[in-house]
Amino acid sequence: MQRRDFLKALGAGAMLASGLSIKSVFANAAPHVVIVGGGVGGATAAKYLKLADPNIRVTVIEKNPVYLRPYGSSEVLNDHIGMDDLEVRYDRLRDRYGIEFLFDMVTGVDPHRRTVRTAGGATLGYDRMIVSPGIQLLYERIEGYSASVAESRIPSAWIPGTQTRLLRDQLHAMRPGGTFVIVAPPNPYRCPPGPYERGALMAEWFKVHNPTAKVIILDAKDSFVPGPSMLLGWNRLYGYNVPERFQEGMPTEGEWPMKIHDAPGMLDWVAGRDGGRVLSVDPASLSVETEAGRFKADVLNIVPPMVAGRVAFELDLVDGRGYCPIDRRTHESTRHPGIHVIGDACVADAMPKSGFSANTQAKVAARAVVDLLAGRDTQAPLWENTCYALAGTEYGLYVADIFRLVDGRITRMEGPRFLPLDASRAQIRIGALYQQNWMRTFTEDCFA
Amino acid sequence: MSKHLLLFLLLFVLGGQALAGQGEAPAETWTPVRLHAALAAMPEGDAERGARLHDALFCASCHGERGESLSRHWPALSGQRAPYTYKMLLDYRDGLRHEDARAEMMVVLARMMSEQDMADVAAFYAAQPLPGSAPLKKGHPVNDLVRRGDPQRLITPCASCHGVEGQGGRNETPSLAGQRPEYLVRTLKAFRDNTRHNDVHQGMAQFAWDLSDEEIRALAEYYAR
Amino acid sequence: MKKFVYTLALLLPLFAATAPAQESVAQQTERPTGEMMGNTCAACHGTYGRLGTAAFVPLAGMEVEEFVRAMRAFRDGTRPSTLMHSVAVGFSDEEYRAMAEFFAAQGTEE
Ligand SMILES: Cc1cc2nc3c(=O)[nH]c(=O)nc-3n(C[C@H](O)[C@H](O)[C@H](O)COP(=O)(O)OP(=O)(O)OC[C@H]3O[C@@H](n4cnc5c(N)ncnc54)[C@H](O)[C@@H]3O)c2cc1C
Ligand code: HEC
Ligand code: HEC
Ligand code: HEC
Repeated sequence: MQRRDFLKALGAGAMLASGLSIKSVFANAAPHVVIVGGGVGGATAAKYLKLADPNIRVTVIEKNPVYLRPYGSSEVLNDHIGMDDLEVRYDRLRDRYGIEFLFDMVTGVDPHRRTVRTAGGATLGYDRMIVSPGIQLLYERIEGYSASVAESRIPSAWIPGTQTRLLRDQLHAMRPGGTFVIVAPPNPYRCPPGPYERGALMAEWFKVHNPTAKVIILDAKDSFVPGPSMLLGWNRLYGYNVPERFQEGMPTEGEWPMKIHDAPGMLDWVAGRDGGRVLSVDPASLSVETEAGRFKADVLNIVPPMVAGRVAFELDLVDGRGYCPIDRRTHESTRHPGIHVIGDACVADAMPKSGFSANTQAKVAARAVVDLLAGRDTQAPLWENTCYALAGTEYGLYVADIFRLVDGRITRMEGPRFLPLDASRAQIRIGALYQQNWMRTFTEDCFA
Repeated sequence: MSKHLLLFLLLFVLGGQALAGQGEAPAETWTPVRLHAALAAMPEGDAERGARLHDALFCASCHGERGESLSRHWPALSGQRAPYTYKMLLDYRDGLRHEDARAEMMVVLARMMSEQDMADVAAFYAAQPLPGSAPLKKGHPVNDLVRRGDPQRLITPCASCHGVEGQGGRNETPSLAGQRPEYLVRTLKAFRDNTRHNDVHQGMAQFAWDLSDEEIRALAEYYAR
Repeated sequence: MKKFVYTLALLLPLFAATAPAQESVAQQTERPTGEMMGNTCAACHGTYGRLGTAAFVPLAGMEVEEFVRAMRAFRDGTRPSTLMHSVAVGFSDEEYRAMAEFFAAQGTEE
């Protein structure tokens, strides 16, 4: 209810009709586009297909009638928002744009006949299909970990749902002085800043509610995005000592210098080179075996390796890397013509797996689908990604990139992409406010 | 629906950590006596320090290098009377002025400022030229409203308070000359619809209550650069 | 001419793939339409630039010259910004204009 009103408020008056004069080429035989998955990618694609040409029939097949947005979902853990604030409904897309929804699970496709099947027994024909199923988590890749352990004892909370609530409750009930251990995933994964933002937000919450608690992030990697600017935030807020190799360019004097803390603070990051790689977990004792030894947790959060959502495998869209190879210009699968893959599930070269990426990929794919259906040449694509991230609720960071198609690959344009290390307090505070606004304006662009 | 919406927006805004001072009771509204005391206690402004703060606090990213305003979405501050600027910053800080989400940024920034900081940026803006002037425009449709008011609707002439050229008046009465028309429309509507209620005893809002959309647009154009 | 430049880009894959300097890549690759580029701004500035009230600002209906001036100033750093510098450096002047025309055509919403 709230979410709906909130979308209404933002969308008030805007975009009831597209500002572009639309001359449909499909007046007689309306083509049918089926979209699998109504998350960020799928919803955006559906909306932009209809904006481009309202005469196209668009059906979204989504397994859940209410979407739980993953972006911003770590803010449930520190009670900044509630679980119901993650809910996004589809009424706006249906009522405003005439998009059809089928709440069912896609189970298979016949790419030759161009039909798609659902668990509920429906068979739908399509002219083109767009698939945006997100990710699935490979719990079993970590010895001792499994889906059932994740549901009951060691949540991953990387696809929002019951695990998110479980983790929140565990954190709030953690004993005074307890240790919260986060295991960060190997590349590539959904939301590169995510595990580090989560650790920071919880450190901030503990500072008030459990001041002797500890947060430890175990990692197989040696760096992450947005690296130094996040580490500097940790240094300022949680007494984290920035490793020497990341100190270049950090302010040592002035308004808000980086400090060397005598006693280590409550937040620590164990990189791969320091033995942070996890070998196994023991659910009974909540301990983690790493190359650097054993870590005993009071609350344990594991983000396991991940691959494209299961349905991408069932539709035979995946290659050996676990993601879906595509023709970058159109996002059309290189394995099955007529099917386009976007979002976390596709191979997008330099683009991170983020909501922002999925949103701009959806627009590229929607445009390509319209052009291909109309028998026109496809257009040169362009993508963007900006991840606003938080080192604290009032400490905003970002990474911002433009991507172009260069030599058949999605290529990042070089340039200044991070919050500068010498950014002032005001700029950092403003960034946090923009981050909160982005959650709303972004949701509107995708779902309203 | 709009009432619910408003309530919801309010809850959303207040509930969000976007506002630093969560749970703080909003400050008491102004009385002439309290405002008089607050302006008398305003620290002496240092325009040079104000100029540095204007950059360091990123005011320039919206309001322009000297407060001349960078776009239709952000008001000009240059040439503004210092007591008015100072009062606005107090009002944002204390949650008295918060028309809509666009003011959020101001609330957040004002909460990072000391009263000395506020006085310093106010002095800096006051030392800049006004972004434009609003000389007598005899044939203009709202010329009479501006110069003579409208006794039937109890509207005192705008010029009697804001000056004959919109250059500002006494105490916190702001200059309007050269202001962005989009901003003037927005804020006059906010006075009219009671979403802006930071003025002392509705000393400004009462003149906006009976204005039509058309008059508001014309007034904005009258004063705008 | 454009075709020629595009072919050139194909002949120089090494250069293009390693260290693309914005201007040169922007000029050598086929230019996306104003709408294609403008759609990437929607997460912050609203669908077709028609944002309602938020801390971000709408772009719909922005005057073409003002838009181009703003983007250039963001890129050159003469206009201070929290974020837009990082966005503006990714585009060429011609592309600013194409986006400006796209947004100007969207009309204003108040
Ligand atoms: C903690 C966290 C924080 C994040 N923060 C940010 C951020 O700040 N900014 C940002 O840009 N991104 C962020 N992200 C990442 C972002 O949420 C994802 O990248 C984005 O949701 C990917 O979109 P998608 O369409 O690929 O997948 P999803 O949004 O996951 O959508 C997939 C949809 O497909 C449906 N589906 C799957 N299989 C089937 C099937 N067989 N039949 C029918 N439906 C099916 C699912 O139910 C789901 O609704 C964050 C993620 C996490 C976990
Ligand atoms: C993100 C853009 C942004 C930044 C940064 C910003 N402002 Fe503002 N400012 C606004 C907006 C928008 C308004 C109008 C808000 C409203 O309607 O209440 C405003 C209003 C004001 C006003 C009231 C103007 C009037 O005529 O009533 C003052 C004074 C002001 N700002 C000062 C500052 C100072 C000082 C700073 C730096 C510390 C600053 N602003 C930074 C956007 C910004
Ligand atoms: C009795 C004096 C008085 C009269 C008459 C008056 N005003 Fe005002 N006005 C004020 C004061 C005082 C303020 C500052 C209110 C506050 O504290 O925010 C103000 C504020 C404003 C503002 C907001 C400026 C800004 O930068 O945000 C506008 C616009 C304005 N007046 C327009 C008008 C117009 C138009 C008229 C005539 C129809 C008018 N005023 C008549 C006293 C007056
Ligand atoms: C992640 C959020 C974000 C994205 C994406 C984004 N912008 Fe912005 N934009 C901002 C912010 C924030 C500002 C205010 C200046 C600043 O602090 O950077 C702004 C300001 C602007 C302005 C100045 C508006 C005015 O009224 O003066 C223009 C023009 C603009 N952006 C164009 C674009 C274009 C074109 C794109 C896409 C290619 C884009 N922006 C993408 C956040 C964004």
